[in-house]
Amino acid sequence: MKYENDAFRGLKLIGWLFLLSTVLVASHKGEFWPFSIYPMFSQAGNTWNRALLIEVSPDDTTNIWSEKSIESIDQHVVPVKELGVDQIDYSNFISKTETWTPGRLSALKKLFPENVLQGRMVMAAKASGKLTDGDSVSVAITPMFLIDSDTVRVNPNIPIHNTD
Amino acid sequence: MKFTDRLKNELFDPGRDVTAGEMLHFKLFELFIVVYVILYSWSWGLYTQRFNEEVVLPLGLANYIDISLFFEHYLAIIIAAVISVMVLAAFFRIGNRWFYLIVLMLFHLQYVIRYSQGEIPHSQNLVGLGVLILAVGSVFYPAGKFFPRFVFGGVIFFIGLGYTSAFFSKLIGTGFHWFYGEHLWLWISEKSIDILSRDGLYEVNFLQQIALDHVWAASVILLIGWFTELIGFTLWFKKWRPYTTTLLIGMHFGITLTMNIRFDAFVMQLIIVGYPWYKLIRLDSEKVSGWLLKFTLFKKPSYSGSESA
Repeated sequence: MKYENDAFRGLKLIGWLFLLSTVLVASHKGEFWPFSIYPMFSQAGNTWNRALLIEVSPDDTTNIWSEKSIESIDQHVVPVKELGVDQIDYSNFISKTETWTPGRLSALKKLFPENVLQGRMVMAAKASGKLTDGDSVSVAITPMFLIDSDTVRVNPNIPIHNTD
Repeated sequence: MKFTDRLKNELFDPGRDVTAGEMLHFKLFELFIVVYVILYSWSWGLYTQRFNEEVVLPLGLANYIDISLFFEHYLAIIIAAVISVMVLAAFFRIGNRWFYLIVLMLFHLQYVIRYSQGEIPHSQNLVGLGVLILAVGSVFYPAGKFFPRFVFGGVIFFIGLGYTSAFFSKLIGTGFHWFYGEHLWLWISEKSIDILSRDGLYEVNFLQQIALDHVWAASVILLIGWFTELIGFTLWFKKWRPYTTTLLIGMHFGITLTMNIRFDAFVMQLIIVGYPWYKLIRLDSEKVSGWLLKFTLFKKPSYSGSESA
């Protein structure tokens, strides 16, 4: 055949690449870009955690740290896209950080600097969803950080570790 | 016939000549890859320069080098500029045949710099794979007309592998009950929070409403998508390729409708490599054919060995 030798060599090359990809993804938790085992949505039924940014009136900070329902805050959600922030990054930053340090708080403030907030006070909140009684999904909102032009105030229930 | 022989014939079709139409199809695919490499490199570089401060999740090479060094001094921007120059040079066959390999390494570095913030997106994987196969092909087939065939075959192999791998990830990660409709409810609610966070508002569409109203409908949606992933490997076979491609594109539309996740580049790449477009492109002009050959190969054509020009 016209390209028989080339095709045979091509298959060997693909075989080596396949071997390389297997070694790389096996040793890097399924991800070594551009190789991947594509594990998205592989664990079904688990509780999820995401994040929202909620506008807060500076005059109304009573019960500011108490858990809220999605219905009570959905009119006050600040679209992070309008602030130039990648929503998935923001969400992962809030929901996947296990140990909060001054460095992490500084990185959070960098996401929402004064020129972006323009005098507004916002709350970075974690949204958690789970199946309840097997026939519906409940969503709870946990306030985490109150951010204004100068400061980041922390929910008293969140410990800050001083070693980065 | 041995499976490896069958796979070789299905992926690379060695008995068929490389026509001018196939070379044009290949250059259009290469152009698509080059455009997305430049777009991604700059968007990742600009985002890094503006926002990245701490490494939240080290991916790939970031496990071995401190990539926070690239968050400052405009290094991510400089990498984007170098990638752009090199990928354009490679596309126009100016300079060295190793350029795509260098682009691949810098592109990986740029990805792990940008996505060190906790997100692991997959929508750019096929573009990355495209660069990888172009890099390997340009090194091993710099002067052979087989180069386009190797690139298409290699890309198709890894696309098919990826979808089937996604099926098994779900089977191993959850079990046979992965397709239960309640799981889709959870994902719809999760993505609704993501959209609300991004845009400030969210409305359930008709398909999501059906899935939320009827758990069996949600189960059927998941089952169809999961089955489509399972048969992803049938892309390797010429006869099945257009049908599997169509099913996969349909599955991506389904994912967009149910979970608001868009895979624009993924779908475009599927459309480009999944159908035999070369059959529709008939070019008889020798001048055009010679010009295409010049911009397909990295060296002057080889007329020796197994290959005929």
